[in-house]
Amino acid sequence: MVGKPSRRVAEVVVLSTAMLTFISFWRAAAIVLCDMASTAWYIGGIAEQAIGKGAPWFILGVMAFSACILALETESAAIFVRGGVYKVVREAMGRNLAKVSVSALMFDFTLTGAISSVAAGQYLAGLLNHAFPHLHIGWRLNPDAFSVFFAVAAVLYFWRQNIIGIEESSDKSLKIMRLVAVMGLVVFGWSLVTIWFKGFSLPPFSVSFDPHSLGWLAGTDWPRKIGAVGLLVAFGHAFLGLSGVETLVQVYREMEAPKHGNLKKACLVIFLTCFLLTAGMCFLAVGIIPDAERAKYLDNLIAGLAMHQVGPHWARLGLQAFVVGVGSLILCGAVNTAIVGSNGVLNRMAEDGVMPEWFRYLHPRYGTTHRMINMVALLQIGAVIASRGNLYLLGEAYAFGLIWSLVFNAASITALRFRRLGPREWRLPFNVRIGGTELPVGLGFILAVLLAVACVNLLTKRTATVAGIAFTVGFYALFWAAERFNRGKARGEHREKVNLRNEETVEQVLKHLDKPNRVLVAVRDPHGLHHLAKALETLDEETTELVVLYCRIHYGMSFGGDVESLGPEEEHLFTRVIEVAERSGKTVVPLMVVSNDPFYAIAQSAQAVGAGEVVLGTSGRLSLENQLERLAMTWGAMQKADQGAVTVRVVQKGGAEMVADL
Amino acid sequence: MPAKEGKPSRDMPATKTTPPAKTGAARSKSVRVSSLLSEDVISIVSPPPEKGALIESMVKLLCGKKGLGDPAPFLAKVFEREKKISTTLDTGLSLPHNPRTERAPGAPAGLDPPSLLTNIFAALTVIPDGMTDPMEKDIPISVMFLFLSPDRGEFFPMHLQFLRSVASLFQPSLIGALAKAPTPAAVLELIRKAEK
Repeated sequence: MVGKPSRRVAEVVVLSTAMLTFISFWRAAAIVLCDMASTAWYIGGIAEQAIGKGAPWFILGVMAFSACILALETESAAIFVRGGVYKVVREAMGRNLAKVSVSALMFDFTLTGAISSVAAGQYLAGLLNHAFPHLHIGWRLNPDAFSVFFAVAAVLYFWRQNIIGIEESSDKSLKIMRLVAVMGLVVFGWSLVTIWFKGFSLPPFSVSFDPHSLGWLAGTDWPRKIGAVGLLVAFGHAFLGLSGVETLVQVYREMEAPKHGNLKKACLVIFLTCFLLTAGMCFLAVGIIPDAERAKYLDNLIAGLAMHQVGPHWARLGLQAFVVGVGSLILCGAVNTAIVGSNGVLNRMAEDGVMPEWFRYLHPRYGTTHRMINMVALLQIGAVIASRGNLYLLGEAYAFGLIWSLVFNAASITALRFRRLGPREWRLPFNVRIGGTELPVGLGFILAVLLAVACVNLLTKRTATVAGIAFTVGFYALFWAAERFNRGKARGEHREKVNLRNEETVEQVLKHLDKPNRVLVAVRDPHGLHHLAKALETLDEETTELVVLYCRIHYGMSFGGDVESLGPEEEHLFTRVIEVAERSGKTVVPLMVVSNDPFYAIAQSAQAVGAGEVVLGTSGRLSLENQLERLAMTWGAMQKADQGAVTVRVVQKGGAEMVADL
Repeated sequence: MPAKEGKPSRDMPATKTTPPAKTGAARSKSVRVSSLLSEDVISIVSPPPEKGALIESMVKLLCGKKGLGDPAPFLAKVFEREKKISTTLDTGLSLPHNPRTERAPGAPAGLDPPSLLTNIFAALTVIPDGMTDPMEKDIPISVMFLFLSPDRGEFFPMHLQFLRSVASLFQPSLIGALAKAPTPAAVLELIRKAEK
């Protein structure tokens, strides 16, 4: 009697997730710049209203300082692939301060959406008011009222996009930044021609405060008597140029290998763009637009720059339309980034049990965390309406959340230098060794500057301080209450959402693979993925696909039928697989098969996908030799006549390997 | 901005990720299975015996015919291996053999009989009525191919390739034909033909 084959794979599921799509440093930089570079459209006017004509110098100083902040985020990424303010502060300084820092960050995100959408509205209103006479339309829009209307519409649009779950695309960000680059070149080039004909006056290196810009320091003599205080006050008013840096941390996990190398390149691109574009636009605006005229354009400064170039009126109007069009794209993009960022941060808080469970409920149709998105959108709309379109007010309030989340981040990274010893992929330079202790002088300087600016801002920006503290306290109370309520309840760890696609046979997986070489890595234990990490280390991503195989063991009558969902342990396993892939920045193809013998599953799947290499981890039950023997037997049993040789590697936890050719 | 390079075509020469240094000897030539068999080590049994008893009789037959000495140490090793993980395949082939002794890298080979072997020795039994494997109760064993191989690190690659070759050779079609073979000579002839 001949035995019937009964160990072959019964079901095949290919898993996919957007988390396994890795992006180049150009795309990563574009995503960050869609937030950070958008400040170029409003920072000049806001800073000039606060500190006078010398504002561009302080904006230049802040843009130069952005290099320090980017370096700080680079070190943060060297510690945590999936970082962010909450994780970093929690690790370094505990959960309470982490909640405070995130509360401040939420204020930052709320006002990012509000200021970006209001600024876009101001630019549009300015353009329409210039265009109407030419179109023989006798209207004149109230810029503030129009910007509120436009801002609410923009927030509602992106609220809807996020509820439906339309993913933010790096393609879109790249296209926007290409347009910004073109716009920048056109404006700079045209400005050079204008300067040639009309001359250029460099802004004076001076500050001119009014009582409003001094806040509670008005009436004191400190800014004049203590020059450093004055400089800090001025610096603080230009600080909103650093908005968007938190996005870098969130986008780091998506960067392709080599991760840290690409992060540094992205930081360089971000720094150069912001330094040249943001500071450059402000200098040109002050240097080209006459003072009396410039006062009319403080809420849409780049549009004013366009209208004061040399050339016929229609050409200048065309340039203004171009500037406004690009500005609207990037500013509205920043609104979306703020909603996505807030949702991401709140989801992370929820995973930690620091958000009320009610907020985690998914939309019945779209599967998104709609209640969190609703809250964020409502807060942004509330901020827009409360501001009544006053860009200056929004700008002043904005800096509170930004500066304090940066302070917490910098303090945490500094603390981790002492708490988490050991090598790091990169650390901020200027460290002095005294005895056996390394003092982070560079980090300390950055922290000192941030803390000084934050403290000065508390005194000079009344609205920001009052609103910011109230908002922070409110959110902290929400987090605190949720944490107490959730204490003792089982808290789910973070689980990646993956899509499942059932295939008829293992061979059909081939259509998901398009590189000539394949490696198959078998996984089972979420805490034993050292062999996957090793395989990713040596993977040549240009020529080789890496298939990660998990075999769900099933026996008897329950064997068969489509796989509709993953079990909790399987979710945990694939979440860990994605984390390992993210850390390396290389993509993998996760595959699950259902079988009653894992070695058959490995052999059959590897042969079906044409793997030239199979990588196994160690088993708690079998020796390396037994594993290789069983695989050799099953490989032979399944082998077709034209099957090529395969290399099998069994990788141990310490890195040692046993390799054999079959 | 630099564009990403296009994806490589399927016609590119296959290059593998560079594997680390291998343990043991370099890949050796595969052994012809039929060259290890002779009529005196091939049997056809009916009715089907108990698996343990069959293994014992095959080890004793092999040791006797090939002059390997006392079968006890080999038997102990084969049974030790049988307890670890199944050596039965879903084709109906069973592959009992002596296990590799786990040694630290570079440690000298032992002086026990399996370590002192210099070649592979094999015996074959055809069970036309199928035999139950206690470890794989749903797969009846139709052919048992028992072999003893040198328990030394440098032989391990050859051992693995031998396992693969035997499993690859004894496919359901051959096993079906062997179940109908009337004599050990006919069994050997079928195997030789299949190997060609």
